[in-house]
Amino acid sequence: MTQLRIDSITKTYFIGDLRIDAVKNATIEVKKGDFVSIIGHSGSGKTTLLSIIGGIASPTSGRLLFRDEDIYAFGSDRLSDYRCENIGFMFQFASLLPILTAKENLLLPLIFRSKKPENMQEAGHKAVELLKMVGLGDKIDAYPSQLSGGQQRRVAIARAFMNDPEVILADEPTGDLDEDTEQEMIKFFRKMNEEKGITFIMVTHNTGLAHQTKRHIRMTNGIIKEI
Amino acid sequence: MAGEFNLLTFAVKNLKRKQLRTWILVAAIALLVSVLVFAFSFVRRVNSSIRLTSERLGADVIVVPAGSRGAAEDVLLENRTKSFYMDKGIIDRVKVIKGVDNLTHQTYLVTMTGLCCDVPESMVIAFNQETDFIVKPWLKGKLSRTLRKGEAIVGHESAFNINVGLMEVDSVLFGNVFKMVGVLDKSGIGFDNAIFLGDENINDIIEKGKTGIKPGQMSIIFLKVKKGFDPYKVARDIDDAIVEVDAVARKDIGKNIINTLRDISRIFSLTIVIASLLAAFLAWAVFSAIANERAREVGIMRALGAKESHVVRLFLSEVLLVGTAGSILGIICGTTLSFFLSKGFSIMKNLAVDLSLSDRVFIGLAGLVIGTAVCVIGALSPVQRLKKMEPLVVIKGE
Repeated sequence: MTQLRIDSITKTYFIGDLRIDAVKNATIEVKKGDFVSIIGHSGSGKTTLLSIIGGIASPTSGRLLFRDEDIYAFGSDRLSDYRCENIGFMFQFASLLPILTAKENLLLPLIFRSKKPENMQEAGHKAVELLKMVGLGDKIDAYPSQLSGGQQRRVAIARAFMNDPEVILADEPTGDLDEDTEQEMIKFFRKMNEEKGITFIMVTHNTGLAHQTKRHIRMTNGIIKEI
Repeated sequence: MAGEFNLLTFAVKNLKRKQLRTWILVAAIALLVSVLVFAFSFVRRVNSSIRLTSERLGADVIVVPAGSRGAAEDVLLENRTKSFYMDKGIIDRVKVIKGVDNLTHQTYLVTMTGLCCDVPESMVIAFNQETDFIVKPWLKGKLSRTLRKGEAIVGHESAFNINVGLMEVDSVLFGNVFKMVGVLDKSGIGFDNAIFLGDENINDIIEKGKTGIKPGQMSIIFLKVKKGFDPYKVARDIDDAIVEVDAVARKDIGKNIINTLRDISRIFSLTIVIASLLAAFLAWAVFSAIANERAREVGIMRALGAKESHVVRLFLSEVLLVGTAGSILGIICGTTLSFFLSKGFSIMKNLAVDLSLSDRVFIGLAGLVIGTAVCVIGALSPVQRLKKMEPLVVIKGE
């Protein structure tokens, strides 16, 4: 069943007079439970494509269909709901809010939900469980400044699962991690993919990592090609 | 802990991250609200005193010796001890003016400090018990009969200020012994500081020679106009007909003070407008800096599902917290300031009326609303700019 359809999407930036076609006429279909990796050089448009799928950058042309609905035809609030309720983001950089503890960073997406969880205490337990799953059970009340880059990355990974998303968008999710932790995280992703049917779209430079996914897409100068 | 984490606790955490900056903004709002509360209290108190006095006097027009209008207002509005006299024959000349209904007169005497055995300096008002309509209604509640010769009754504040009349005691006024038969209820006007006696005592006072009044003199006439007559017109007619007097319609009592007050109000208003602009500008500068610093965080929040309204609510919570804290601090400082500084303004020192609780609540609420609104107005533009940004653009810091 097609969950996401990227339909003839183009994204063009202008820097002064310079025109940059970050994504050129991209079309892909992603089924529920897919595990897709997107590889390519820096500046090939991977992050832009991921951002368009995540609803945080509107395309210049084309449509992004989620369950057959064009999300860029939504109003601002509905687009936010789409991000909040369906998408889990793992950014390329440390994306934790510095004034919140690890646990509060995980709880943050919940306060944006249109339908708030009935039991916030339960949500708190869930946050703790997720932090334990990424090996940070002892850092629940630690602030980002008290965590290493790798630990911060793992908190951000845990946060992406907090709202039970249907799709995880991961931009270089293991960039700051050592090899062992990287493998643990990939194992964790695969477990979530297989057991919960969560769709993964992962941008990576790491071809070894890409080979562990079900589908592979290469991006070159904004053009995508399934390999 | 999960239950405690919400937009408000998040906002508090945000304010705590740069405490000095937060406190500077709180102090700016507090300063603005202090000025505002002080100015409102000042203007309101003077206005209320004048209005209350003119209402409670119950006369439509007052007639005083020419050039003594200011002195009369000083006595009636500011509790000052002053005396001024005119010939009693003027009463008959006023009576014949068209539109005059009934009238009464009073004589103002000032006891002298240091005079052997007399009460300390205070205002003594001799009134005509037959014609009076100013003191009588007030006296009725305290004394079911008229004052006898050699008797006096003291105003509410006098009892405390000069320590007489708290019980039936004999006190010496202008060398004559008077029996203090009671204390009047608080009226809220200048008369609260006076001692009242019947004008049949004046001859005895003159005989002792301890006051500047001469036989056949009095200080002031209070009159009511007939139904359908304009008090202003009657006052003008008296002024035209009798050159030795000044006639003032009730609504003009305190007009000079009100005019002066209007100028002071203008200065206060200008100060408040400038202070508001400065505070709003500071709020704009601070929240612009905050918006720039936290643009990326807002981008992340938006990517995690925050709506534009969440961004606005978060920043608005911060603004409201700062505005409320500043306003409350300002209300406390402004009230304290008006309490202490009022002693430095002679007009305030002598005013009979203090602010009522409802006045204070109103001024406090006005301070709270204006202080918070200024903060919100200042922060509005940076917050609007931030909420409209495309998440990816701010995340990438472009």
